[in-house]
Amino acid sequence: MARRGFPRAAALVAILFLVLAGVGAPARAQVEVRMWTLLSGGDGARMRALVDDFNASQHDMRVVSTTLKWGEPFYTKLITASVVGAGPDVATIHLSRIVNLAGGGVLRPISPGELATAGLRGDDYLPRQWAKAQYEGRTYAVPLDVHPLVLYYNKTLAGKAGLLDADGKLKAIEGVDALTDAFRAATERTGRRGLTMESSQSSYAIWRLWLSMLAQQNVTIIRDGRFTYGPAGAATLARIGDWFTKGYAQSGLDYPASTSQFMGGNAAFMLNGVWEVPELVRATKAGTLGFDYGIVPLPRLYANASTWADSHGFALPANPGHEPSPEKVRAVLRFVAYVSKHSLGWAEGGHIPAYRPVAESERARSLMPNAMYAQAANDVVYDPDGWYMGAAGPLEAIASKFLPAALYGYLTPAQAVHRFETEAARLVRKRPPRY
Amino acid sequence: MQRDDTILAPDTRPTTARDDTLPAWLLLAPFLVAFGLFFFLPALETFWLSLTESSLTRTSAFVGLDNYHTLLHDPSFWDSVGNTFYFSLLTVIPLCALGLLMAMLVDRFTGARGWLQGTFFLPFVLPISVMTLIADWMLQPSSGVVNHILGGQRAWLADPYLALPAVAIGTIWWTVGFNMLLFLAGLRNIPAELYEAAALDGARGFTLFRTITWPALRPVVSTAVILQLIASLKVFGQTYILTSGGPFNTTRVALHYMYETAFTQSDAGYAAAVAMAFVAIVILLSLLQAWIVKWLAGRDA
Repeated sequence: MARRGFPRAAALVAILFLVLAGVGAPARAQVEVRMWTLLSGGDGARMRALVDDFNASQHDMRVVSTTLKWGEPFYTKLITASVVGAGPDVATIHLSRIVNLAGGGVLRPISPGELATAGLRGDDYLPRQWAKAQYEGRTYAVPLDVHPLVLYYNKTLAGKAGLLDADGKLKAIEGVDALTDAFRAATERTGRRGLTMESSQSSYAIWRLWLSMLAQQNVTIIRDGRFTYGPAGAATLARIGDWFTKGYAQSGLDYPASTSQFMGGNAAFMLNGVWEVPELVRATKAGTLGFDYGIVPLPRLYANASTWADSHGFALPANPGHEPSPEKVRAVLRFVAYVSKHSLGWAEGGHIPAYRPVAESERARSLMPNAMYAQAANDVVYDPDGWYMGAAGPLEAIASKFLPAALYGYLTPAQAVHRFETEAARLVRKRPPRY
Repeated sequence: MQRDDTILAPDTRPTTARDDTLPAWLLLAPFLVAFGLFFFLPALETFWLSLTESSLTRTSAFVGLDNYHTLLHDPSFWDSVGNTFYFSLLTVIPLCALGLLMAMLVDRFTGARGWLQGTFFLPFVLPISVMTLIADWMLQPSSGVVNHILGGQRAWLADPYLALPAVAIGTIWWTVGFNMLLFLAGLRNIPAELYEAAALDGARGFTLFRTITWPALRPVVSTAVILQLIASLKVFGQTYILTSGGPFNTTRVALHYMYETAFTQSDAGYAAAVAMAFVAIVILLSLLQAWIVKWLAGRDA
């Protein structure tokens, strides 16, 4: 019985196998797009969700994303891998690094024709961000967002300090003296700190604020390899340093300590990027925050309302010797177009979307708390152009060593600025590297 | 502190019999090939690189001695060399002295020898990532055990005066076990008869140490000091992980400066010049130290 049954069973298994194999194999080979990102934490989770949604939305291609350590390690790896032809198919970068990456031969320009095949047009992006993605007349990245520096406030503490209007919103603050007074009032009347911001060694926050405050005085930092801020450099750093030496802010806090000081209700104001928004939204929803918060753009402290910002964007590594096929480029841009069109999800990370149909949509305009600071996008300044500039770039790295020291009193503001300049001198005199 | 410091070059002097030459070369060949491929050729290439303007992957121009000229007038380089020397000063002598003390303790307390030896040597087996993690926890301003014991809220690693000493103390705790082993081996090679004879002559305590232990240990001491000096001059991992060279470069050592110029600033040519200049300094120092040891020995004889 069993013996007679055997050939038939074998045939059945063979047929089953063939059927399964036939179902399993796709009609066409799936294009795999490898992406490197430097997005971690909430940003990383949101990008992963966008990638998963995209992969689920179609079957022709698949995006495989790898997250690498933010900052200098990411860029070093991207640069070295991409110039030897071993880079990914697409990478998320900061637009402040375009001069460095495009000028150094790390990225491949994207032609208007290629953009058009994915339904992308420059006009669809915020003009300032689109311009920032260009280098020598060619497009090197597709902008994703704008993330400016903003001022968060704790309504309970600010209320006690008499800084709120009848609607419970922060009264307008104009001028650096007014801001200092607000920090002082909050410190004196609440027994908590007036301000919290990241200030430990090698933190980048001071650089962002310093750059904003100089830009508000119409002072540039660097031009043609020369430092151009003059006496305003040390004077501005001294204004920031005052908040720390007078005790309105606690010096030496690293990033997590500074945000938890605000989240824990121990500081009335927090100067930070919009990327902390998701944590506040989450804590509010979970009922663990313990206070109402508000967000305003960085106040106008001097002549104008300039605010430091940076943007994420998608770029194609050059990979010489392994240039992407037209098919691969089409696939990458198709993914980029998908993310642009679905960037409302990205906006929930606090970022302002760079894709205008989304950014100007009713849903994005009414998205809270983003709506509180959406106007900041009109006043943003990026790091000045230069191969050494940009997020976690060589010049920022040097500034982040010396500027914070002025806030602890180990160096005077003038010494800090002088030592920053001395160490950066060799860098800015150097010819831009071709990687 | 790398463990390969312990690998000493084989003795390449010709032996008395001529027939031995071929086997000697055959035995040496694998080492020579590896040495040439992985050390000598890269070193030559580094020297060539130091004469060029180069990014990480591409050479753009031959610039002759320009990089060295810049180096002479680069305060950042000299600061980093100064920090390296300061770190060596903070570590070499304590590491050797403590190592010797521990070895003598282990040698003396025969009952607890294994336990003591294991305890002293244990930190040395930790990978650098674990060692720095432990040191970082211990040195935390508000929650660290060091401040708990000493009182106060010192931010050890953020203080320009305390950061490098703190890294040095962590390094001593981490690597002293190796020196202890060296000295222990030295101590066990001293014939017991010498002590017995000295004891018969009425010597005891410190006199025994001064007249027998110390002179007999002299070669081990000089080996330990030179190995330690080279290891301390090569410091990179501890400061890179614990302080990233901060606060404002007070813990940035020479190798860290080389790393920064090469990788953060993509200036491989200049980084190569930093490396070559630093190698020259290390060689000079080692020669100087060997000469001092020789001179001291000659004076005693």
